[in-house]
Amino acid sequence: MSLHDSASSAAGSSSGSSSSLSSSKPPPSSLQQDIVRHLAGAGYTIRSSDLPQVAQRLERLETAMGSSPADFFQLASDAILYNPSDLASWVDSLLSEFTQLPTCCFEFILAPVDNAWTTAELHEPRVQQNITYEQQSLDRQLTVVTAMEEDSDIRLVHKLMACAECVQRGDFSSATSLIDDMQGLLARVNTVCGIRKVAGHFIDALSRRIFLGIGGGSVDGCGSAFENEILYHHFYEACPYLKFAHFTANQAILEAFDGHDCVHVVDVNLMHGLQWPALIQALALRPGGPPLLRLTGIGSPSPDGRDSLREIGSRLAVLARSVNVRFAFRGVAASRLEDVKPWMLQVNPKEAVAVNSIMQLHCLLISDPTLNSPIETVLNWIRDLNPKILTVVEQEANHNQLDFLDRFTEALYYYSRMFDSLEACRVQPEKALAEIYIQKEIRNVVSCEGSARVERHEPLAKWRRRLSGAGFMSLPLGSNAFKQASMLLTLFSAEGYSVQENDGCLSLGWHSRPLIAASAWQAMPEPGSCVSCLE
Amino acid sequence: MTKNQIHRARPWPGFPTSKGLGSFGDANCMEQLLVHCANAIESNDATLAQQILWVLNNVAPPDGDSNQRLTCAFLRALIVRASKSGTCKMLAAMANAHCNLSIDIHTFSVIELASFIDLTPWHRFGFTAANAAILEAVEGYSVIHIVDLSLTHCMQIPTLIDAIANRLEGPPLVKLTVAGGATEDVPPMLDLSYQELGCKLVHFARSRNVALEFQAIPSSYADGFASLIEQLRVQHLVYAESGEALVINCHMMLHYIPEETLSSLSNVNSNPYSFESSSTQSLRTMFLNALRVLDPAIVVLVDEDADLTSNNLVCRLRSAFNYLWIPYDTVDTFLPQGSKQRQWYEAGICWKIDNVIAHEGLQRVERLEPKSRWVQRIQNAGFRRVNFGEGTISEVKTMLDEHAAGWGLKKDEDDLVLTWKGHNVIFATTWVPA
Repeated sequence: MSLHDSASSAAGSSSGSSSSLSSSKPPPSSLQQDIVRHLAGAGYTIRSSDLPQVAQRLERLETAMGSSPADFFQLASDAILYNPSDLASWVDSLLSEFTQLPTCCFEFILAPVDNAWTTAELHEPRVQQNITYEQQSLDRQLTVVTAMEEDSDIRLVHKLMACAECVQRGDFSSATSLIDDMQGLLARVNTVCGIRKVAGHFIDALSRRIFLGIGGGSVDGCGSAFENEILYHHFYEACPYLKFAHFTANQAILEAFDGHDCVHVVDVNLMHGLQWPALIQALALRPGGPPLLRLTGIGSPSPDGRDSLREIGSRLAVLARSVNVRFAFRGVAASRLEDVKPWMLQVNPKEAVAVNSIMQLHCLLISDPTLNSPIETVLNWIRDLNPKILTVVEQEANHNQLDFLDRFTEALYYYSRMFDSLEACRVQPEKALAEIYIQKEIRNVVSCEGSARVERHEPLAKWRRRLSGAGFMSLPLGSNAFKQASMLLTLFSAEGYSVQENDGCLSLGWHSRPLIAASAWQAMPEPGSCVSCLE
Repeated sequence: MTKNQIHRARPWPGFPTSKGLGSFGDANCMEQLLVHCANAIESNDATLAQQILWVLNNVAPPDGDSNQRLTCAFLRALIVRASKSGTCKMLAAMANAHCNLSIDIHTFSVIELASFIDLTPWHRFGFTAANAAILEAVEGYSVIHIVDLSLTHCMQIPTLIDAIANRLEGPPLVKLTVAGGATEDVPPMLDLSYQELGCKLVHFARSRNVALEFQAIPSSYADGFASLIEQLRVQHLVYAESGEALVINCHMMLHYIPEETLSSLSNVNSNPYSFESSSTQSLRTMFLNALRVLDPAIVVLVDEDADLTSNNLVCRLRSAFNYLWIPYDTVDTFLPQGSKQRQWYEAGICWKIDNVIAHEGLQRVERLEPKSRWVQRIQNAGFRRVNFGEGTISEVKTMLDEHAAGWGLKKDEDDLVLTWKGHNVIFATTWVPA
């Protein structure tokens, strides 16, 4: 059964990539499996083998509506969807009214599952449909309209996956026309909610990848340090991920420093030092009085010659002085973390050392067989410091897979969740700038390769294996960290976020899907060995 | 957007440099943190509020030293307040966050309450001073009518009855009137009804050969004890000529009557004092004016010397912090850590802090005013001060000797003030119609 050729141009261009769909039941391709997954994400379970029929019917319906908008409007006004789970027979009934086709029975099983992408749309009074008739308020037909929105969601995902698959195969011309299709789709729908918002960013990233693929140069500058600072700050404000990272790591560090009079924090990427004021204040008031605190901040050298590390360090020193904490700061400018050597950090053997890495380790996962693995190099020098604690916070995602399509799919799921969670933020410009911050990550995951691709997120399970293999043992985060994170989240973040505990590690997620995970580690004791500083 | 704009809220709020003053320095820091937290919550600065709450959760454990426990109580109240505000979630969700925010208020039996009260001069001071002044004022009267408006459910009365029985020839008839149910929702809670309490008091008085009549008139501070006043007015009209001494004993109760900052109650339409002409006076003023009309033989006012009336949260927080450190500081001297009574005691303070910080409007009932303001009010209502005699002062001193060394006594004009380490705690004043 092939796709209906009288379908509008919207569907026609998919014929190239969708040839795999025309068949008499071959085993489902990975693309089809993906579509099934996406439909499942949108609320429907469909057998792979029935997928072509569903897609075909939906496309025919769209055609029919597109060609006789007035009729549809009339129809839509009269149509009442009794059973939202029975999309198949509803579509069929509409079709039969339109085109006098014999009614078919679809043998699907359509059952709503936990809907990943339709968040508040069911209650949104303002809605646009992906068909061109006069925009009218259709409050009574919300269920009808929602089904149409989900339909456009499915089509977008379908096209995104198809495009990604083309790109993977090197078929850039098909990919490009799919991009045009999708941009056309986007232009006609409400891009404020659901997957359509994040889809725009993925389309953009795919375009860049295609451009690179056909020989264009990289169009992306990294943005000035100032711009990046603004984006980071707004991402920090708009959603709880970075705050959760800081609180949780700080709680573990504070507890690890208990009883020590000389402590040294090594921050693997100081950024703007937002994590440290709270820790300094907590150390200031801890029972028994504050320790001598040293903070070593590692960061890239500033391109504009500013010694930003020192600026941040002196701000922190002013704060420490105001709360009577003896404090010393040291900045280590290194463009690559693997270039840092333990001697640069000047760790005193009597100090309790905490090494803190917030979303940094994944940048080191470049797998170039000609180099020493950067991650191993860094984990080795961290281990050589013999830290009392190593705090690791990472995105809970699998964005470092070899297969581009797998990576793309995973990123689509992950970032649409993240964008969903961002919907809860009502404050501008925080929200808009936070979206740009996330968009840069998406671009990197999707359109970059080689050393340019730094956002190589791996899930906690993989980090556990890696860190255990590098000579670290897991340090459970403890109930205080969990209580703090839960309380602060409950008080100040939208409903939908949740903190979960998993074998001593904590994760923050949106609707039970973890998006960021925090863990703590300790160097495994080696009997009889001493710390050796490499020169 | 300039760089400065980004960092406007980011620098950690400044602290005055406290040069290692030991525990005082720490207390100052805690206060500053609480103040900054309150400001952050009021101005919806979620980021700063979160950071400070995180710090406070770590540095103010509920089982720490007295400063830490004090701070913990304030922290708890701020969290409750934050959970009620627009950008935050419902208190119910906090239960899921494994946060125990409930305050365990004990319901006392009479015996428990009596021994509880005796542990510290907090109430005994007012009792001793008041009873001495009352005895002087009612000498020679054959009928004494005591109106006991007291937070402590008549715990002052047995000692008074004892003294009346011992010191006066031919003990007089004693009538005792209380406002029934006045502080049902304010600690300390009693497990008896006022009827039952009255019975016990009558029996006790009989055992001392004193005839006691007891009445509980349902009345509440919320309307300035209007029904009680009404009843007293009627009785005053009836008994005015019969040589009855009317004693109005106010012990930590009057500060619940709404004052000017709760102006919604004192508007023209809701004047509970039907006999008063409509006015824009606060209920507190109206109550005192009504007392004057009753022409009492003596009015005793004992209350806590602090100002918790500000509508500004931060002001109130500072005032409360700088007063309520006292009970936490004293408790080590009379109750061991971990004892049940200590839990009850600190729960009571926690309740107060919660009321002052986490509540607004009519629910915020702890509206303490400093002595100077009460003095002004009572004088305006047409009373003049009465001096405390030397005998009274030495009685109070003797009582204080039974307690820790930090307690002291101060004579401030004609008033007596209980002090702890030199800080004003409770004031006692006595008045007669001018």
